[in-house]
Amino acid sequence: MEKLAYEKPTINKIDFAMASKYGSPINTQKVRTEIDGISVNELTEKFGSPIFVFSERKMEELYNNLYSAFSSRYPDVQFGWSYKTNYLNAICKVFHRLGSCAEVVSEFEYQKARALGIEGKDIIFNGPYKPYEDLKIAVQEGAKIHVDNLFELDDLEKIATELGIVIPLAIRINMDIGVYPQWSRFGFNYENGDAYEAIERMYKSKKMKLVGIHSHIGTFMLDANAYRNATTIIMQLKEQVERDFNSEIAYIDLGGGFASKSNLKGIYQSTDVIIPTPDDYAEAITNVIYDLNKSENLPKLYLETGRALIDEAGYLLTSVHGYKRFPDGKKGYILDAGVNLLYTSTWYNFNIETDKHYEGENEPSLLNGPLCMNIDIIEENITLPPLNRGTVLSISPVGAYNYTQAMQFIRYKPAAVLIDRGGKARCIKEVDDLATINYKEI
Amino acid sequence: MQAITQLVLDENNIAFHPMMGNSYQLNGISKEIIILLRDSKSKHEIVELLSQRYDTSYNELFIDVSDLFSKLKVYGLLG
Repeated sequence: MEKLAYEKPTINKIDFAMASKYGSPINTQKVRTEIDGISVNELTEKFGSPIFVFSERKMEELYNNLYSAFSSRYPDVQFGWSYKTNYLNAICKVFHRLGSCAEVVSEFEYQKARALGIEGKDIIFNGPYKPYEDLKIAVQEGAKIHVDNLFELDDLEKIATELGIVIPLAIRINMDIGVYPQWSRFGFNYENGDAYEAIERMYKSKKMKLVGIHSHIGTFMLDANAYRNATTIIMQLKEQVERDFNSEIAYIDLGGGFASKSNLKGIYQSTDVIIPTPDDYAEAITNVIYDLNKSENLPKLYLETGRALIDEAGYLLTSVHGYKRFPDGKKGYILDAGVNLLYTSTWYNFNIETDKHYEGENEPSLLNGPLCMNIDIIEENITLPPLNRGTVLSISPVGAYNYTQAMQFIRYKPAAVLIDRGGKARCIKEVDDLATINYKEI
Repeated sequence: MQAITQLVLDENNIAFHPMMGNSYQLNGISKEIIILLRDSKSKHEIVELLSQRYDTSYNELFIDVSDLFSKLKVYGLLG
């Protein structure tokens, strides 16, 4: 006798209050069968699970959209790839191929950029902590140093004396742009005069000269006007410095912080409504430069966008290991990826999609990771159909920060795959093993 | 008396419990399991019977039927 097709048994209490003109979440399923034409099941079979997958096509699309929004309005724009956002070599290479220089915030990121063949002059060295020896190497190699504090200024003065040169520098400033809490930890404050005083010190020493002004007003900025305010202050300071010290500021750097299309926890509108477009950001910044520039030349404009160029190009594929029913009736799935790999789970509601359409009624479920830690919850409340052991879930967008901040904790750090422009997938980072974990232990 | 014996099942896989006033959406196989439960079949007997009829393993059925039992308990339909 031929056996009948099996469907997992389900029962759900009917909550009439859930019915609305938008339909019932009981019947909605989000499905992702492939990424750039390659089946998600094929990807996990070939490269393992869990696995980070990056789409070069999407990276290129995001880069081109943002770059053309600026370059169509302004003649001299340079993007700097923010290494901390994702410093897998293959990812950095994609952005360098597209035209980005490197923006680094530590000696190891600096060394990574150099190892990738980026010349010192094409590296922006940011951050509050630049050890003396590393700072000296960066100066010798002609990197763009963005000064953060007076101690660093002292170090730079000493390096200039040692090397017998005048060091061209940029200063990082922070200011009140109407977005709170204000990012005042990095750089010198504009309103209280610290920034101007530091610049004055540079010129008095005769060992440093200011060539750039930099700010980075925050992260995931949902209001393009904040950039208008920041650019206004930078341009005012630029004019003041050029007038007072008879010196030209060659570039301004508005940093990063442009939002990606991710669902922030606590915000219920669609990302299409709340996230400013590339044109919004570009308009806000470039209009002010044109309005306030009093020099003969327009300053070169640097941007250090990270999240908005990679977040939507990254996926984490994870497989269902099993499930259990909790005493409150909720179904809890055990996945092979957890919060150790998803740093942004603290503030994002991820898009979670199944590898095919599953029969059966959706029910409230919980997604737990593999860690033997009570906090390992990827999603506390998601309606899902009954899933099988081995079902592959795609979690996105996870391209920004998740790989670089993924913790090697309890489980091995997973592999990463890049799907290139031709639609071919290749492993760009192998899964860790015991040798990786034990490396350098004595 | 177990509340499950008082469930009214219809042809659209909707179950109604008149004393509690609750309605439930079932699928075909869960309706079958509830009917078997009302015939006083044990979990093992139900799994055995279903594994002969459906294209799945005994082990998978055991996990899924156990899960349904847990949920029936949460709803107060099974003691």
